[in-house]
Amino acid sequence: MLLFRSEEHSERWCEARGIAPGGTMTLATGWRLAHTWYHDKLEPGWRRRSAEEAEAVFAELGLTGEAWRLRPPPVQG
Amino acid sequence: MTGIADRDGGVRISVLRQTIDRGAVPTAAGVAAALGLSRQDVLASFERLGADHVFVLDPRTREVLMANPFSAVPTPFVVRSGQRQWWGNCIWDALGIPAIIAADAEIDCACGDCGEPMTVAVRDGAVAGEGIIHIGVPFGHWWDDIVYT
Repeated sequence: MLLFRSEEHSERWCEARGIAPGGTMTLATGWRLAHTWYHDKLEPGWRRRSAEEAEAVFAELGLTGEAWRLRPPPVQG
Repeated sequence: MTGIADRDGGVRISVLRQTIDRGAVPTAAGVAAALGLSRQDVLASFERLGADHVFVLDPRTREVLMANPFSAVPTPFVVRSGQRQWWGNCIWDALGIPAIIAADAEIDCACGDCGEPMTVAVRDGAVAGEGIIHIGVPFGHWWDDIVYT
């Protein structure tokens, strides 16, 4: 996960490598995510989040879509 | 099983605490000395913590390579707080360092595209800086190759 000066720079980086653009987020969202993720890792009761818990953290921060999916999408119909 | 889980938790905290205090990820020998365990016991904990994706191990030495959010080896994400300095594995982990140490910090890195130096600061619980964060590998595939990710 890298920092870029702008969307234009991240798109150019993807294009140069022939990869599809992934998800993006602001620095403010990145900080909130990092704080949520790591603020308690020194605590004795800490445990790694399940896929469901991780997706809930992402959703809370508005991080949705394929880039943030850990589980297969629900079957429609 | 509880004993093993407790030991692994103690190893996790010792690795992180020593990294925070010393600015370098400790070896198994360093953790063993701090906890009064054998090096073999600590290496066994490292294996379990690696299997659980709590840490990432060096494939050759089986020592800790990534004590997330910290990196044991130099990266383009240098994080400073007071006189202390660490490396983050990526921008997410670099932001995770002020979170885990609960202190202000500055991150020196560069635009992933053009290489222009960029600085991000975390002060009083808020982030300041410019730029956007890009997730190049979908989260569900991060552990296919975590070092590349």
